[in-house]
Amino acid sequence: MHGEIMTNSDHNSLSGTALPSYPGAADLAKQTAGQALVLRGLTKTFGQYTAVDHIDLDVPAGSFFGLVGPNGAGKTTTLSMVTGLLQPDAGRVLVAGFDVWSDPAAAKARMGVLPDGLRLFERLSGPELLSYLGRLRGLPPATVADRAGELIRVLDLDEAGNKLVADYSTGMRKKITLAAAMLHSPAVLLLDEPLEAVDPVSARIIRNVLSRYTAAGGTVVFSSHVMALVEGLCSHVAVMAKGRIIASGELAAVRGSAASLDDAFMHLVGAGDVEQGGLSWLGSSQA
Amino acid sequence: MVGVFASLKWRLVTSRLRAATGVKRVGLIVLFVVVVLFIGLLAFGIAALRQVPDIAVSVLISVFTLQLIGWALTPLVAFGVDETVDPARFALLPIRPQTLQRGLLVTSLIGYFPIANMIVLIGAAIALGVPWSVLPVAVLCAIVQLLLCVVLSRAASTSMSGLMASRRGRDLGMAVGLVIFLLYMGFVVFINSGSSQSQGDALEAGVTGVASVLQWSPPGALATLPHLLATGQWVHALAAAVIALGALALAWWWWAVALHKSLTTVPSTTAGSSPAGPGALDTAVGDGVTGTMRVVADRDRVLVWRDPMRRMPWLMLAVLTVVWPFLVVRGQGAVFAVALGAIFCGAQAGNQYGVEGSGLWLHLQTITDRVRARGEVLGHTITALLPGIVVVVVGIAIQAVVHDDWAKVPAALGVCLGALFGALASASYISAVLPYAQPQSRKSLFASSVPGQKGRTFVASVAMIVGAIVIALPAAIAAVLSLISSPAWGWLALVLGLVVGSGAIVLAARLTADRYLDQATEIFAVVSAGDRS
Repeated sequence: MHGEIMTNSDHNSLSGTALPSYPGAADLAKQTAGQALVLRGLTKTFGQYTAVDHIDLDVPAGSFFGLVGPNGAGKTTTLSMVTGLLQPDAGRVLVAGFDVWSDPAAAKARMGVLPDGLRLFERLSGPELLSYLGRLRGLPPATVADRAGELIRVLDLDEAGNKLVADYSTGMRKKITLAAAMLHSPAVLLLDEPLEAVDPVSARIIRNVLSRYTAAGGTVVFSSHVMALVEGLCSHVAVMAKGRIIASGELAAVRGSAASLDDAFMHLVGAGDVEQGGLSWLGSSQA
Repeated sequence: MVGVFASLKWRLVTSRLRAATGVKRVGLIVLFVVVVLFIGLLAFGIAALRQVPDIAVSVLISVFTLQLIGWALTPLVAFGVDETVDPARFALLPIRPQTLQRGLLVTSLIGYFPIANMIVLIGAAIALGVPWSVLPVAVLCAIVQLLLCVVLSRAASTSMSGLMASRRGRDLGMAVGLVIFLLYMGFVVFINSGSSQSQGDALEAGVTGVASVLQWSPPGALATLPHLLATGQWVHALAAAVIALGALALAWWWWAVALHKSLTTVPSTTAGSSPAGPGALDTAVGDGVTGTMRVVADRDRVLVWRDPMRRMPWLMLAVLTVVWPFLVVRGQGAVFAVALGAIFCGAQAGNQYGVEGSGLWLHLQTITDRVRARGEVLGHTITALLPGIVVVVVGIAIQAVVHDDWAKVPAALGVCLGALFGALASASYISAVLPYAQPQSRKSLFASSVPGQKGRTFVASVAMIVGAIVIALPAAIAAVLSLISSPAWGWLALVLGLVVGSGAIVLAARLTADRYLDQATEIFAVVSAGDRS
């Protein structure tokens, strides 16, 4: 299924014919073996507004998958439903073959999550947070201590020492959340804007860690609206706009003949260049 | 420019009314009318002091002083109640400091709180304007008093705005809140300790004595000025006028300096919290109910000590549990009054899912099965249970020693521990059924709910208390029997309190965990609102 560009109409016909009704989680898992993340008919409406509109998606295991789209496209809503933080109105989510909403314990044990803009346990220090979450997941204290120490070293958080998370900078918060997401060695990492408002040094460190993780067989799904970043990192990409997936597949396929992913994206979402003219008053007065 | 400030503030003040529609709007208007009537009644009562001019001056000296202290301290305790308090919001606008200060003064005078103060001060002016010929002076004094309150409050809040912008500063504000609470408790104990026979006389003597000192303070001078003029004490009157106007000028100058400083310097942002000590957490593993309970309780224990928002209530409770019985029950039987403190101790386990705001997502990812969910509830419960038992036992012991009331101790322990256990069980269950958002900005120790969820918070609190009382009822009935028939019933009360209470805690943990797993996303959506205020 991947390796070729799929448009929205393909998706619709697929879900209309090949999948006349959503299969049970076990059937779907069997059909989609080899996929790290599978979405079928995922939908969320807020009153009149449809934030996510019957999306289907397959993320192959071992891929570095970018979910791109303009602000308000539904990326965060989708990831919230995938990570179990927001109940979908309809549809199914499988993470590593386990249904997030019917078997949350198994699915959540196999995912690591980095949400955007949510708080942490602010009055714990970074090492304390990792120790707490690791032990809460049932990992032996020695294992937790080893892994936490290594993650803190690799993510360059040793200087923070026992500083409280509340006093961390944005980059440090993203890094400690990433450490918490990787602590239990999940099969899939789901990251919402992991590099948003992060300084270049921290961004480089995060990118390196994520690349090493996929090289070792892990799957990374992350959302972003920075096309250059996605183009530089990802093997696969899905483009979202207005709650729908308008294209998905391998990066080269989605980009097609366009000069860059940015151009392909503009073409896909139907945005033209900014008009010339207007704004003539700008820069002409001190008032 | 001042007009712009005034209209801006007017929009802010009326925005909630404009945003509300239908029933909500009617409710707001009814509430508004009730509050205005209440304040009008208060002002009328103060105005009625006109009949007794001597007492009026003494009383109003204290009222004016308390009013000014209240205004000066409010920003420290409840920073952020007023959106225009923070001068940093104006730092980038091209406005001269003098214009800004005048504009801010006008905005400070527009609002529910200043208007309520104005109404009360009109009553005060009528009470002080004896005979009627000095009423204009009294009105002038009332106006100066209001200005003094506003300017001093603004000067204090502006000079503290840098401090309050940092989390550590806000933590300090909570400590101040605790001090105010302790002063209040001390004050209540003090006025209650007078011999009951001549309490009225003692109170009057106290007020007059205090007034003779405070009349030389700026607010005191304003309260006495009309009387001094009416009785022709010109020199004293002149001195009072100089004190009052001098204070106003000084406060205005302080505000100007503080404003200039806050607009041109960056507050220290390095004032983070002191780092955590190494090895604060133990090595329990969350692989079962007990393990999860230990992991969660261990984290809670660290946070109760580290987070002033959690630590201060415990300190207040310890004081309340010891002091309250002295206030309500004179003599034997005071041991039972410890039950109130017991219920509040249990309430510390309340709203378990809302304490961390959207930080709950970390638990949503890790606590995914019944075993862990139950362990989490029991972990939060035990964090409040252990200190609660200490507070209750010490509270009862103090009452027993002071009133030599050891015979009632078993029954009192039964009732109070039953109330503590009951409150814990009830608080746990209600936190899953009626979770509410807690403000995460930690601006005030006394801000326990966010806009739009005040009703929810109130219902949750009442339900928690009712639940606690119901669970403590068997022990309470046995305790009543111990008082009217045989003291042996007291031991039954103790057994009932412990057994019924423990049963309730275990049952509540099961029900709470099931409810939490079932409603996790709804709970998460509700409590995440705490991030925004």
